[in-house]
Amino acid sequence: MGRTIVEKILAKHAGYDSVSAGEVVVAHIDFAMVTDTRAVNTIKMIGKFGEQPLQFAKNTALVLDHYSPPPSVEAAQIHSEMRSFAAQRGTKLYDIGDGICHQVLPEGGHLTCGDLVVGTDTHSVTYGAFNALGTGIEGTDVSAVMMSSKLWFRVPQSVRINLRGRLAPGVWAKDITLAMLGRFGAEGLNDIAIEYVGEAVAAMDIDDRMTLCNHAAELGAMAAILEADEKTFAWLQAHGAKAPAPVFADPDARYVEQIDFDVSSLTPQLARKHEVDDIVSVTEVVDQKIQFALIGTCTNGRLDDIRQAASILKGQKLAPGVRMIVTPASRQIYLAALREGLIEVLTTAGASFESAGCGTCVGITNRLVPGDGDTVISTANRNFKGRLTNKNADIWLGSAATVAASALTGRITDPRDVVGGTWRSAA
Amino acid sequence: MTTAQTLQIAGLSFVLGDDVNTDIHCSNKYLPGKDVAYVAQHAFEQLSPNLATQVNASAGGILIAGHHFGINSSREQATHVLHAMNIRAIVAKSFGRQFFRNAINNGLPVFECDTDQIGAGQTISIDFEKGELFVEGRTVRQTHLLPKEILAILSLGGLIPFLKKYPDWKFA
Repeated sequence: MGRTIVEKILAKHAGYDSVSAGEVVVAHIDFAMVTDTRAVNTIKMIGKFGEQPLQFAKNTALVLDHYSPPPSVEAAQIHSEMRSFAAQRGTKLYDIGDGICHQVLPEGGHLTCGDLVVGTDTHSVTYGAFNALGTGIEGTDVSAVMMSSKLWFRVPQSVRINLRGRLAPGVWAKDITLAMLGRFGAEGLNDIAIEYVGEAVAAMDIDDRMTLCNHAAELGAMAAILEADEKTFAWLQAHGAKAPAPVFADPDARYVEQIDFDVSSLTPQLARKHEVDDIVSVTEVVDQKIQFALIGTCTNGRLDDIRQAASILKGQKLAPGVRMIVTPASRQIYLAALREGLIEVLTTAGASFESAGCGTCVGITNRLVPGDGDTVISTANRNFKGRLTNKNADIWLGSAATVAASALTGRITDPRDVVGGTWRSAA
Repeated sequence: MTTAQTLQIAGLSFVLGDDVNTDIHCSNKYLPGKDVAYVAQHAFEQLSPNLATQVNASAGGILIAGHHFGINSSREQATHVLHAMNIRAIVAKSFGRQFFRNAINNGLPVFECDTDQIGAGQTISIDFEKGELFVEGRTVRQTHLLPKEILAILSLGGLIPFLKKYPDWKFA
């Protein structure tokens, strides 16, 4: 019987010829990641094993991204503890400003096609963009990995989603993922592995593919994984990854559902305030005023996103009363934006830059706090009430192009209705 | 080497519905500064008032739920709260992905089966090795048998105690 991509990766890492959905396996892990939100608990649990050497330390990265830069003494102390632990036990460490875990892991060459990667964050599904099985875990899980190099998994059922056709200019992977949330609902694919395939995936650059996989966390997916192609191999090689061992699904693999989704007529999509699955087309809500705009996060803080924003805001000013923050997903992206002149363009337009990290997404560093009654339009992946610390503000989610176009006009705007956009200059 | 101990659990049933979010109903995520003991006194009260008090008064409770118990929840603390509440096992049609992991990792037995015919206040016993639940003279089968590794983790009280005993995951 044929196997899905995730069944094949789990079988290989568990030492079996094949496994199928529902089975529980103990699998070797290739790389593990711990963020600062789960580090203290993890370090405490590692302590329960005493002073024995941590053989997996060299394949573990501690990432100081959520409390970056630290907003309090407590957060700073967590970071100090992480630095000491990394130095003493031999893990890798990404310090404040280096970037968001899901960006620095691939950029650091820590994963390749066919790998099994775990992280203490649900958006670890992002690594599926590189044909790696990435999945989120908790503190006990990652402690077990660091002690034993292994973890148990229940082999998930898979759903195959064929993204047929080409996205219209000005429409992005973000819009596809929002459409999927509208279709399945938040957590609607709980514990499912999604395989995205098709012409639209093949046409996407790596940045957009990472968005596509990242946002599957809101669907409740265990994984979201793509087949590898020449773009994947070139990107991985450029970032110093191991030689890839790409994994493809068998033609007769068993899926719980196979979906055909034509993206060619898709319009820019938005998640309305408070619910990640309250999805509308941007064309339905163009009168909605906005006061705050965010380009950033592990979903859409990459170079292509910053390019979109800069191409729309070049030579322009933000609408009166609109504030805009840009948070590159990593230091490398920050530097690339700097070299391309994008930071000058956006800063001149009225935007402010924050150092790379999660702070402007989850509201724990207080670096983006909307006022009462403000509407925030954001490229983030979550918009529940109070996520940016103020319960009297609303958050809407859209693509970088939609966010930038809306910041320009002061109301929700279809990016195809404004001048600029990299999709035009490329045409 | 010993094999995994037989895991058998009995208790009184307490019923909740579908889509129980343990971050909201069984953790301090929205109760900053409150500890496990406090949350254990108030858990699920918006869904089933007095449930915590009633479980506490029983010899040990078994939670019965519908689909997606622990959906959207990543807080491991929920399992500590459930232990503190005197919950011995959770029986549901399905579990949220990370909750299922957290429960096993923290030694809280979880049993997936059809729960439609299980009512409140019934005496339940579960044989995890056989994958059978006994209620009111009926037997309900588990959807997927838990493999021996998972049974061993549960019977030793969680993943960390398991790995202390079997550092290479190997046991007879």
